Amino acid sequence: MDLIHPASKADVVDAVQDANASARRLLVVGGRRHLDKGNPSEVDAELWTTQLDRLVSYEPAEMIAVVEAGMRVGELRRALAEGGQEWPSDAPDEATVGGVIASGSSSVRRLKVGALRDTVLEVEAVTGDGRLVKSGARTVKNVTGYDLHKAIAGSLGTLAIVVQVALKVRPLPRARRTLTFEGDLSLASTLAASVPGAAGVLAHPDEVELHLQGWPEEVDEQASIAERVARSSAETDAFPLVRPWDASPVVAEVAVPPSKLGGAVSGDMWGALAGVGLVWVGLESADGDLDALRERVHAIGGIAPVVRGPGGLGAPPIPAPSVQRRLKEAFDPNGVLGPGRGWGEL
Amino acid sequence: MTDVDDARRALEDALGPEHVLSDPLALRLYARDASMVEGGCALVVFPESNEEIVACVRVANEHGLPVVPRGSGTGLAGGSTPIGDAVVVVTTKMTRILEIRPEDRLAWVEPGVPNLDLANTLRPRGFTFAPDPSSQQTSSIGGNVSTNAGGPHCLAYGVTSSHVLALDVVLPDGEVVRLGSEGPEAGGFDLRALMVGAEGTLGIVAAVCVRLTPLAPVTHTMLFDFMSVADCAGAVSRIIADGVVPAALEMMDQGIVVAAERFAHAGYPTDAAAILIVEVDGTAAAVDAQTRVVETATQAHRARSVRVAENDAERALIWKGRKSSFGAVATIAPHYHLHDCVVPRTQLVEVLTGVYEIAERHELVVTNVFHAGDGNLHPLLSFDRSVPGTLERVLEASEEIVRLCVGAGGALSGEHGIGLEKRDFMPLVFTAEDLSAQACVRSAFDPAGRMNPQKVLPDGARCGDFAMARGSDATRAAEDLPGGAWI
Repeated sequence: MDLIHPASKADVVDAVQDANASARRLLVVGGRRHLDKGNPSEVDAELWTTQLDRLVSYEPAEMIAVVEAGMRVGELRRALAEGGQEWPSDAPDEATVGGVIASGSSSVRRLKVGALRDTVLEVEAVTGDGRLVKSGARTVKNVTGYDLHKAIAGSLGTLAIVVQVALKVRPLPRARRTLTFEGDLSLASTLAASVPGAAGVLAHPDEVELHLQGWPEEVDEQASIAERVARSSAETDAFPLVRPWDASPVVAEVAVPPSKLGGAVSGDMWGALAGVGLVWVGLESADGDLDALRERVHAIGGIAPVVRGPGGLGAPPIPAPSVQRRLKEAFDPNGVLGPGRGWGEL
Repeated sequence: MTDVDDARRALEDALGPEHVLSDPLALRLYARDASMVEGGCALVVFPESNEEIVACVRVANEHGLPVVPRGSGTGLAGGSTPIGDAVVVVTTKMTRILEIRPEDRLAWVEPGVPNLDLANTLRPRGFTFAPDPSSQQTSSIGGNVSTNAGGPHCLAYGVTSSHVLALDVVLPDGEVVRLGSEGPEAGGFDLRALMVGAEGTLGIVAAVCVRLTPLAPVTHTMLFDFMSVADCAGAVSRIIADGVVPAALEMMDQGIVVAAERFAHAGYPTDAAAILIVEVDGTAAAVDAQTRVVETATQAHRARSVRVAENDAERALIWKGRKSSFGAVATIAPHYHLHDCVVPRTQLVEVLTGVYEIAERHELVVTNVFHAGDGNLHPLLSFDRSVPGTLERVLEASEEIVRLCVGAGGALSGEHGIGLEKRDFMPLVFTAEDLSAQACVRSAFDPAGRMNPQKVLPDGARCGDFAMARGSDATRAAEDLPGGAWI
């Protein structure tokens, strides 16, 4: 396996143009934290983005940070904390910003902070045919052309290689607290519906964790509202406290409408985000149990890609496959970027 | 027998004759939206179901007529202004709220549902649809989706794209597809995100799955006034820098305050240089904490006074003045031209000063109302078109304002879209390659170029054809527009 380690955007353009000329297939690699998400793809070289690691601009009063894609999430976290702000990804420090965005990874605090793709305001990316293109703008509001940057987010490096992004950031919460409850998914749903502004409600086989964050007096108030629903047993500020799926060799990230979470959990190594509809399910292997899980999840209109270990994305129905295919062909006509890696084997 | 006559008959068969208009008055009425751009069309149709939308698209395709989707026609950029022999597909008869599922925090609605009707329907159940454009009494959800509409409350809650989970879309070839998912993620490229804000160029929105936002338990609305615009803008930056992202942060300058007051009688202080509406929401404790920060920040920037809405009626009155601003400008002059640039928040004062200077140089009245929190300006040029030479000055001033905003690092449009009006400014913010990538998105949805042609992208932007893309610039592209399309 060859290694390409570009030091600039121009290097990325050159590398992709070379790959097109020599029919070399590339796998885009950031911090290797999200690489398992995607179908198996046979490639000739890895393209590492980790030298593109500059903080391009950050003005706290704008609440926007412009960073190169290979910047580590931990580095960004430190830089933004100096401005009293955060980018609400809960990815590990070693992950890259580009990897988090390209893999469509979600925050455990999604109930409050929303989808990470909504923080992506502008993307510079090198398309599969070697063009450096920009979409979006460095403003929080923008209707100037199609939101191609949002389609590149979550595309698993199969449309274009993200080289730089402008991110909408937010004030760091002044206070955080996690309360633990004895209960099940139904208690979790009740908490998600009754505690205004809750940051996350994670149900797992043993208990329910409720994460609160905001102004100190706000967190106090939310906690007392939660106590009226059920009695909590412990307090801390970490979240999640337990990740029962973490020790499993295979982890699927299930997305279903929130009321259907019950149909997605199985075994005793799962964690479900109430009010959001995300479940991480730990499995011993990628065979029978994964197939059964997917069969259930696809039947209720959800998806269950594996985010750790083998197993790929599964084969749920994909929206508008003909449009998907034409989009891939327009941006990566020679199939240079992770062939077969994307949804629908694109 | 022309194609148009054949098409009319086929559409009358499919939709019923009462849902197909071709009389001269209808064709004139639907030849424009709320922008200054006027076009023309061949037929106007009013489908009442997905199947009827499909029929409209198929008939138009069979007869070689372009399709222009249209909601309530409140667009300000000419996005639904038809050109040539277009079939205008109006979705305002599709006004059913199909289902509300609080347990999944979603609702399915037809595209013609007015924004405010949806919000009012959700309110008793403890939810709202967060995007609230000023046109919300009239503008439709389908139109909101197509322009990725904003509104005062998108500062804290995000723009329409964040509130649309899924869309049923009739593609330009007549196929019906569901983009996105009722769950938090869907497989495949995020075509839903491309469709939102596509201004009707990628397909027709036939149903929208919106995300429900729980109503905040407490809402606190304040109105501050300042004796200088710079102080007002300074307070805006300070509020954000101190860690508060208010639910809304709206600024109005003296010119628009005077006009709005005359129109809405909201009790605005007409002698102030600028007013600032700040709304914070959340739990009672969160509201108290944010209010303290806001009060400190505004005092530090010499706010003269504060008026606090003590109840819903007082809050409604404060907002009435703001949301009726565009109606109020009718009291200044018969016509107006409204811009929608976005600039970095920290550049507000410089850009505003520049806008005043441009208006003065062109001897035009300018008033400003804007979403200060997100840097979305709305300079309004008021004028009388019947005075010879005025329109030319308005257009010159407009172009200068756009260039000023882009020069400050801004975007062409925050919430109105590009449409016809701003498409030839696109090369100011995008390279030929960028525009080519945009054209690739369009041709992936609409390879035959049937849907709302000539909108958003300047002529010359082609997927994969760089030579042509490089040849395009604002002037040349403008010359390609059919004669009479402008104004």
